[in-house]
Amino acid sequence: MDNLDLLKIQLSQDERDILRGSRGSMMQKVMETVVLYGEALNAEKLIPIEGPGHFVISFSSPGIAPSIKMLEELVAAGLRTQYQFTLDPRGALDFENLNLKPEVERALLDMYEHQDYYEQLLTKLGLRDNQAFTCNPYQPEVGNIPDRGTILAWSESACAIFANSVLGARTNRNGAIMDLLSNIIGKTPLAGLLTDEGRCASWLVDIVTDDLPSPHLLGAAIGRKVMADVPYIVGLDRFLSPDLDSFTVDYLQDMGAMCATYGAVGLYHVENITPEAIDFGQDLLKSEYSTLRIDEPELSNILDSFPQLWENEKDVPEKCFIGCPHISLRQLYWWAEAIQQELKLVGQEQVAVETILCSAPQILEKFMKDKEVNLILKSAGVKLSPCCCETIFETGLKAGHPVITNSNKLRAYSSARFLPDDELVQVLVTGELTEAAHEKDL
Amino acid sequence: MKKTFKGRPVIAGMAEGKAVVSRGGFNAYASFYNSLAEGVQIAICADRGNQDTYGKSLSGKILCIPSSTGSTSAGAVWQRIVGLGIAPKAVLFSHTIDSLAAGGLLVADIWVSKTICVIDQLGEEFLETVQEGDWIEIQENGTVIITVSKG
Repeated sequence: MDNLDLLKIQLSQDERDILRGSRGSMMQKVMETVVLYGEALNAEKLIPIEGPGHFVISFSSPGIAPSIKMLEELVAAGLRTQYQFTLDPRGALDFENLNLKPEVERALLDMYEHQDYYEQLLTKLGLRDNQAFTCNPYQPEVGNIPDRGTILAWSESACAIFANSVLGARTNRNGAIMDLLSNIIGKTPLAGLLTDEGRCASWLVDIVTDDLPSPHLLGAAIGRKVMADVPYIVGLDRFLSPDLDSFTVDYLQDMGAMCATYGAVGLYHVENITPEAIDFGQDLLKSEYSTLRIDEPELSNILDSFPQLWENEKDVPEKCFIGCPHISLRQLYWWAEAIQQELKLVGQEQVAVETILCSAPQILEKFMKDKEVNLILKSAGVKLSPCCCETIFETGLKAGHPVITNSNKLRAYSSARFLPDDELVQVLVTGELTEAAHEKDL
Repeated sequence: MKKTFKGRPVIAGMAEGKAVVSRGGFNAYASFYNSLAEGVQIAICADRGNQDTYGKSLSGKILCIPSSTGSTSAGAVWQRIVGLGIAPKAVLFSHTIDSLAAGGLLVADIWVSKTICVIDQLGEEFLETVQEGDWIEIQENGTVIITVSKG
């Protein structure tokens, strides 16, 4: 960096020294990247990161991750993050749970050819352990749960928005690679969602539905309208608990993931539910704000807008993925019971559609200790997996195949078809799309 | 007719080319999803959710957007497509650049050493003015000149 005086961001003497090479050329390059990032975000200065990271860069496939060469350079320079970090789920390499076609398995093995070496490098750079792979890291079984107010530099859009909104920590929506570099420096730009001003809402979102809406549809409705702004949501406290019980936490996780997929939302406040909304209420609204009213027809319009991407819309569903983002222990039990009840109702022993429930390794381990429920699921033909199911679609080989899911996020990044939970459980048991799903195609 | 706009050079440089315009947020991950493999020669936008850009070539173009949206994987996506040599020549933002695009494009610039021009804060009028296929010239100081083809 030629002339530090041209920068608007304020730099400490230590930061200036690093930019001049006091800690080696690799650290100099990392610092330059983070400083220019701060300059682009109009940051006042860099501030220390105060807790463990969570990064999106779990896959070794090029284009989704930093290059092996870049990681090798960082390791060779002896650099590592100041706090340990967790990562998004691994790719779909647990073939024993997935029953994939041989050509799909080959494509996945090609994509993740260097995965073991990639993980060795990330371990040297600060990866917490070899089970720290999930997009739901703040579940108690996983334990990456930042305290309120903790300054972080997280990526994974679904995790950054949850950490900000539900836990009250402070992180910007950092992109892949910038997450790692910021945590190596141990500093992140003081800008955007790290500032009090940046956490104020410019949208009042009024939920006027009679029942609790699907978080996957509600998040989409909010995200596509609000984009990168902060919404203050009223009306959900009729349905959700201020105690942030596990149902509420799961609901907010799914809703936030969709806000971040459809828009660039990094923080939301829910009146009487999320910590800053409880403390400050509608004082969080900026003096001028827009209003968005969400009712049943608005959510129906979202559902109707999803394109049908199967090669043949009348095909029988082939596979069902549940767990994008990874589901919690409570959700695992919910699905086990829902599937069991539906099977009893129609007098079947097994599901008609291959069904895979995806969750964190630590949650699956705990769940599998419950032999009774596991036997029920196993008998029903349901599989469990710690993978990121979306990666199966990245091979391109499943595009257009008849896959169903309850995840609007998975739908958005694949050709899978979205069905709400109650409809999905019927379809995965009977193997036939419901009348409602067919009507949507007409 | 030519119209001139002045923005902030986030990554300064000179470039010229044809505009591809997204009126809504640009999801880099969804857009470049099918263009990340070794040997891909041209990046065709794969984001079905963006009817402005879906199916269009983005390589070598001047990409004009309000800001970017979607997955934080976009950071690595930018590095990859710049490395493969199939990126747009420039990305022009009407708003202030968002954290995903800023991080990804800066990492590409510093770690891949292939610069694509990035200008932000060009204003709402810029995005209202620029049309698909317009010829755009970009100067080092953040000046953007559109040769308006329609309207």
